[in-house]
Amino acid sequence: MSTEEQKSRSAEEEGRMIIRPYKLKVEGGNPVETVKAVCARWLKEGVLNAVMMPAFSRNGVAAPVLFSDPEAIRDSGVPFLPAMGVNTASVVDEIAFNPAPGVKVGVFLRPCEARAVVELVKLQQVVLDGLVLIGVDCPGTYRALDFFEVAGSDATSFVNRFLQEQDRYLAENRFRTACTMCEFPTPLVFDLHIGFLGMNPSEALWVAVGSEKGAELLKGLNIEVMQEPESRQKFIEELRTKRQMRAEEQIKELDKKALGPENLVRYFAACLNCHNCMKVCPVCYCRECFFESEALERDLDEVVRISRHKGQTRMPQGTLLFHITRMNHMMTSCVQCGICEDSCPVKIGLSVLFKKVSRNAQKEFDYLSGRSLDEPLPLVTFREDEFRTIGE
Amino acid sequence: MSEFEPRIVGFLCNWCTYAGADLAGTSRIQYPPNMKPIRVMCSAAVDSVYIVRALMEGADGVFIGGCHPGDCHYVSGNYKTRRRMVLFNSIMRSLGLDQERVLLRWISAAEGKKFADTITEFTEKLRKKGPSPFKTLWEV
Ligand code: SF4
Ligand code: SF4
Ligand code: SF4
Repeated sequence: MSTEEQKSRSAEEEGRMIIRPYKLKVEGGNPVETVKAVCARWLKEGVLNAVMMPAFSRNGVAAPVLFSDPEAIRDSGVPFLPAMGVNTASVVDEIAFNPAPGVKVGVFLRPCEARAVVELVKLQQVVLDGLVLIGVDCPGTYRALDFFEVAGSDATSFVNRFLQEQDRYLAENRFRTACTMCEFPTPLVFDLHIGFLGMNPSEALWVAVGSEKGAELLKGLNIEVMQEPESRQKFIEELRTKRQMRAEEQIKELDKKALGPENLVRYFAACLNCHNCMKVCPVCYCRECFFESEALERDLDEVVRISRHKGQTRMPQGTLLFHITRMNHMMTSCVQCGICEDSCPVKIGLSVLFKKVSRNAQKEFDYLSGRSLDEPLPLVTFREDEFRTIGE
Repeated sequence: MSEFEPRIVGFLCNWCTYAGADLAGTSRIQYPPNMKPIRVMCSAAVDSVYIVRALMEGADGVFIGGCHPGDCHYVSGNYKTRRRMVLFNSIMRSLGLDQERVLLRWISAAEGKKFADTITEFTEKLRKKGPSPFKTLWEV
């Protein structure tokens, strides 16, 4: 790795991946079509058997879609679609549990989604053999419903506009709450990375190769080596700093409202105990959740006894028990994607809460979720000489 | 008005702390009767859900006793308990909740006295703190 290349990686990524940088020439000033054409070619030539990327249909559906027909991808695929309804990692979790020999799927992932995939690999829920991780830059995403309003019906032209006027859309800041605090606009682990931040994407996209698998995809394409443009590094650094500041502000607001038993109860007062936040969480992986098991079923006399202790008891019971326990189970892997908040029918501010709680928790172990495949999960490892003051 | 008596739920590792408690008993060492012991096979078997549940449903404190690091019957259970406790404490702090209501101590089968002292100190501490706020929060 040259020193230039080394400099171009942030501290988190340093020394963890071998990165080779390239330039992908954009045809006709249209980055979306250019990337789709490349994907169509991969499918046609059998380099990949399928490609999963966001799509936007005439019927208004914005979702990750698994494409196997090159024509279909040109019709409805929209790489870089800034709308997020699910975290793609939870879809990967569904399909990449048992890889089939010879089947290779390229998956487009935003940074938070790529981080979640990394966590799922470590949680033994995803096997990477059949996957090629194609990470993309992400300046932020709209809630799927807001996207229709912002973008209208022609997603491709919107996204091209969005890529060209990054500053404007960033300033508008109508993104999902989690995105307004997101510190990782570029993926940390990937086989191939397609970037556009801080560049003129009507001319070129920045492509980085993170593995041999990623290098395979570039064979036969018309690309040349290009160092990461300085404008890009600067743009990303500034974006990170802004977002970190925004996160601090929002956490300060949270602390005013949510700290302590009484406030915490108020923060979750409207919670329906529906578990949506858990079901959509990419890293909440258990196929049978404790909270949906018989372990929490109660006999009548038990419920009455609890009611007698306190004089009265809210039904259904255990909303806070659910949330605090879920934090204990998931915070070391939380990637702060905020999909939990988007799925909450009563709009509880889960993004900023999980931002704070997970960041603090991961700091304790010098861990960052999704940063590396080689870092063991904090709770499956230990050192004999650590945390000596605990327990003594 | 009667003085506040804390209720403590205790999770005691079968191989050390439970035996330590036994020793305290057979040696007739006095300690407050505020803790209700639950025997578990390893301190690492105490999932956070049981701690939180005890607190939410009215315990004033939770005690977890395990073997000294290096002495786990299952080799490394207590090292993992220790990490889980670091996580638990961090979450409690992040939420502005009192992490001192949960106590983890390494107490071996030979440490009857340490067991009695620990329970005495913890009971005293909780007496001073007063009832857990969750005791009266029927909405949780
Ligand atoms: S959380 Fe970050 S990576 Fe994820 S969609 Fe938002 S801005 Fe993109
Ligand atoms: S808890 Fe929320 S923010 Fe964290 S990974 Fe799960 S869905 Fe994303
Ligand atoms: S989605 Fe919202 S209402 Fe449902 S369990 Fe989660 S926080 Fe509660």
